Amino acid sequence: MVIQENLLLQRVQPDGQGGIQLLYKVNQYGVSAISRPQEEIFMIHWEVDVIKYHNQPNIAFEPCHTTELASRPLRFNNDKSLNEFLEKAFKYFAELETLEQLLPESRDTTRKSEIGR
Amino acid sequence: MSNLTAQAEGKPKDWVPKGDLQKVVTPEQMFFELPREKLFITGSEAAREAIRRANVDVAISYPITPQSETMQQAGYLYDDGYIKEYYRGEEEIGVMSAMSGASRAGVRCLTATAGPGLMRGLEAISSWPGARVPLVLLDMCRVINTPLAIQPDNIEMSFLLNTGLLVLHAENQQDFYDYPLAAFMVSEEVDVTLPAVVSTDGFFVTHARGPVEIPSEEYKLPPRDGWRSAVPAMDNENPPARLSRDAPIQKSNFISYHMHASWQQEVFAAVERSAKYFRKYLNGLVEVINPGAEDFIIASGSAVSQAREAVRQEGENGRTVGLVKVKCLRPFPKAEIIEAVKDAKRILIPEFNQAGWMQKEVCSVLYGRSKAIISDGPRVFGGMTMPTEMILEWLEEARKRTP
Repeated sequence: MVIQENLLLQRVQPDGQGGIQLLYKVNQYGVSAISRPQEEIFMIHWEVDVIKYHNQPNIAFEPCHTTELASRPLRFNNDKSLNEFLEKAFKYFAELETLEQLLPESRDTTRKSEIGR
Repeated sequence: MSNLTAQAEGKPKDWVPKGDLQKVVTPEQMFFELPREKLFITGSEAAREAIRRANVDVAISYPITPQSETMQQAGYLYDDGYIKEYYRGEEEIGVMSAMSGASRAGVRCLTATAGPGLMRGLEAISSWPGARVPLVLLDMCRVINTPLAIQPDNIEMSFLLNTGLLVLHAENQQDFYDYPLAAFMVSEEVDVTLPAVVSTDGFFVTHARGPVEIPSEEYKLPPRDGWRSAVPAMDNENPPARLSRDAPIQKSNFISYHMHASWQQEVFAAVERSAKYFRKYLNGLVEVINPGAEDFIIASGSAVSQAREAVRQEGENGRTVGLVKVKCLRPFPKAEIIEAVKDAKRILIPEFNQAGWMQKEVCSVLYGRSKAIISDGPRVFGGMTMPTEMILEWLEEARKRTP
């Protein structure tokens, strides 16, 4: 079973192509993990992106490819590798928040994309 | 499988079917009391886990996408000894006819099909209710019309609604585990004695993973008692067996017409009687979110999942939208729907088919009983996607039309 800790939202993949999206959140950062239907069971995998949440009450976010975790969307073929990445990401996000608080101004590390709503 | 068959298939002499090692529990224990473990599995795997616990005597398969994987999984269960008999039929009419024969013999039967396979088997399927054969058919919906596709489209369900079958529509992998088990139990109730179909939208449920909470595999449902039935099982040990309970029904004379009419009335009355059992085992025929809302969405199957997200996003923006998830199409939850949307001003009915069978069902129930404007959609078909935005746009349009 995939990690439930820091799981902000589990929803149907909103683009309507089937599958499920898990949204994790630690401070302002998080991970989007999408599992879509595939023609064969062995082809089912996780599409993962590091994301940064907008500072607003609604759940809105953008992909964040400037962290040391990932410079592009990632693919994991099983739950074990996803869980390992999540554990690593949660620690990193906690440390990142501490570091960002030390900076005089927080830098905008996100870029616009269509993935965030 | 028998021990002789097992040995012929290469099992050791001391092989014990795993089904024989399972402990029989009551439906109430299975559905509500046993502790559950959360797994992340496909709909086909969820169906496999339901079959494992369903104490199935006979499973008959015939491959068609996207159903094939489920019956392949059933084959593995047969190999492990959770299913007593299993074979591949010659085609769907053969499979559905064999299902009827197996159920008449008093054993618990399961099959599965999809789209064109359902259409091919429909002649035999539509004879099941009149024959009063309890059984379960898993139906993984896909496109049935030309141009052919294997994407989700549930127009085939409209062909099932007026046959006298019990019909459930699973939204997700969890439902596709829970509903088949409930369907077995309800179909075999004495005052029901009817076949049941559990439909789900192919690929979106069968070939995608989702969270499913299930009890341990060491438990199974009670076996079918073929003699505890509205129409007793055939006694194949003492031939000749009579297929029809009342022979004159098969003759074309005035009496037979009356008998046929009363027989059909009884079949559809039995469908209604099943409601009390489904209410118990499914925690109601419908699930209602945000009762009392002015805007409502009524949906079944995958459309519910898309609607849930639309309801959530509307909530984030301070707008309350109600949702009625219809779990059971036959019997249709008329009273529940009327009650749920009594304050609604606008109703949307998203569907994965061109015909809009759910919209027609809802309109027939609410005609003269609701002042709400019922939108004729949104609908997608042939494998088109239904993004959440589509439902949100339809909601916005409905509000503009009826402030």
